[in-house]
Amino acid sequence: MSIIKIENLKKTYDSNGIAVNALRGINLKIENGEFSAIAGPSGSGKTTLLNIIGGLDKPTSGTISLSGEIINDYNPTKLSDLRLNKIGFIFQAYNLIPVLNAIENVEYVLLLQGIGSSERTKRASNILKEVGLEKEMNRKPAKLSGGQQQRVAVARAIVSEPEIVLADEPTANLDQDTGSALLDLMHELNKKKGITFLFSTHDVMVMDRSERLVYLRDGIIAEDKTK
Amino acid sequence: MKIIFIMGWRNLWRNKRRSLVVISSISLGIFVMIFAMGFMNGFNVQMVENTIKTSLGHIAIHRKGFQDDMKLDYNFKITDTILQSLNDEEILAYAPRVKIHGMIRSSEASGGIMIVGIDPEKEKNISSIYDYTSKGDGSRFLTNEDEEAVLISSSLAKKLDLMLGDKTVLMFQDKNKEIIGVGMRIVGFFTSPIDSFDKFIVFTPIKLLQNITGLGENISEITIVVKNSRKINNIKQKLLTEINDADLEILSWKDMAPFLVSAVNLFDKMMYIFFMIIFITVIFSVANTLIMAIMERFHEIGVMKSIGTKPKRIFSLIMFEAFNLGIVGLASGIILGVIFIQILGIIGIDFSFYMESMRSWGSGSIIYPAVKTMDIVVATVIVIITTIIAALYPAVKAARIKPLDALHYV
Repeated sequence: MSIIKIENLKKTYDSNGIAVNALRGINLKIENGEFSAIAGPSGSGKTTLLNIIGGLDKPTSGTISLSGEIINDYNPTKLSDLRLNKIGFIFQAYNLIPVLNAIENVEYVLLLQGIGSSERTKRASNILKEVGLEKEMNRKPAKLSGGQQQRVAVARAIVSEPEIVLADEPTANLDQDTGSALLDLMHELNKKKGITFLFSTHDVMVMDRSERLVYLRDGIIAEDKTK
Repeated sequence: MKIIFIMGWRNLWRNKRRSLVVISSISLGIFVMIFAMGFMNGFNVQMVENTIKTSLGHIAIHRKGFQDDMKLDYNFKITDTILQSLNDEEILAYAPRVKIHGMIRSSEASGGIMIVGIDPEKEKNISSIYDYTSKGDGSRFLTNEDEEAVLISSSLAKKLDLMLGDKTVLMFQDKNKEIIGVGMRIVGFFTSPIDSFDKFIVFTPIKLLQNITGLGENISEITIVVKNSRKINNIKQKLLTEINDADLEILSWKDMAPFLVSAVNLFDKMMYIFFMIIFITVIFSVANTLIMAIMERFHEIGVMKSIGTKPKRIFSLIMFEAFNLGIVGLASGIILGVIFIQILGIIGIDFSFYMESMRSWGSGSIIYPAVKTMDIVVATVIVIITTIIAALYPAVKAARIKPLDALHYV
């Protein structure tokens, strides 16, 4: 069964009184264990699509289902639960909570899931070791490099064992080497743990490393290529 | 919840200067509140204590009607039953008094007064008139052996232009309604903390007054001082039951001086208006700070919501931050306020420059502030409630932030 199933998805929003068609009929399936990217030029609709998949935005029409369940009509609380338990997020600007250190940032998601303190600490420290931040666990984001912060963000996204990780331009703020190392890490997690990754990107390196590339142009899928 | 507490606490210190300003304003509000309450407590206690120590005592036994119309007709005899009842371990001391309205005359002036006949030795145990009497330069307190002696206040002496050793004439009605004028020699001057008392009261030995008025052994009142002032009502009830005389009335100082009770209540009510002003300020400073903090963290709150934080948890986080602000301000305000009041409670605040006004209230010129545990409890409850009220709007606003809007906000 597909993790994500999108049928005839459209999104129109109002921009100073002008209707803008961000998505004009998307049909897409993402299967379990994929390592895929949605690419396209600025304004092509890739971030809008990722936001709708992540339950952060609602489509104007069409359906989107996650693990067989249509999420279009979910209320804010149900969407919160969905984002907490089934989706992991990685943002371009890392977006860690600045007052929490690395391990607390990772633990935070587990706290929201109601997992006990000792279990939280154990799982968060194991994940941070996996992403190579064993020595940086007690550092706050301001004391970590961009690459390290994004690794913490990866750890935070996967610690709750979500069905899919959505990464919006994860390498955009990183240099070539750091970005490459981060992609290696995510690819390894994909292979080793079977975690499904879906990127939104216009970074060529991400496109090259993805196993499937969905190319959007003007709100429709222009190309869907599996390597 | 540990992480929420950590976040709440650390968020508080992200903008140290701003948080410190708010904490300082809460702390200052509490400090001023405790000081004002402490001062008013001290003022009220001294006003009541001075009235009790100079004239009323804790409890008094009168003939019924005496309290409303202090005439010599309302006299009574100290019976064995009364004496037995007064022999109670809760009663510290008691003394008889005869009270008559009259006039005092000197060669210069005259004025209406109340003449109080006292047993000088027993009086020492129930009032502070002995302590208020000047000793030296010939001024002394009355003795049981004195004949035709009178003790008057320095202010009355000044008004009548009387000196120590001068003779003055006291005029009053005797038991048979005959006007009597008695020449009495001034043996001493006193100065009490109550201006009206000093201008209106003179003391003579009770035996002298009983003889002149024809009262014999009868008296106007028995003034009682108890060991524990909290038990006044119980002791009063006990005396009423034991003496069981329909012609007598037993009154507490509150019964005798309702104006004093009203004044204390009025001052307490005035404090609440003062507190309201302080806490309106606290509400706005806390609310303003939290709204600014939320605007600064708009994007961050959006991220928290996008990774699955429910609105109620965001609400709790903001409320906890407000609670921290309130508690830190409260604790520092209470510590500063209590220390300050403790010091002032020992050294007092000298209002000598405002002496006449303070004496008219009967509080004395030096106020010794005193803080009560209930005041601290009231301050704590008010600050917590105020902080919660102040935080409600910002917390609801934060909880309603839409994650997508916040993620786009930089």
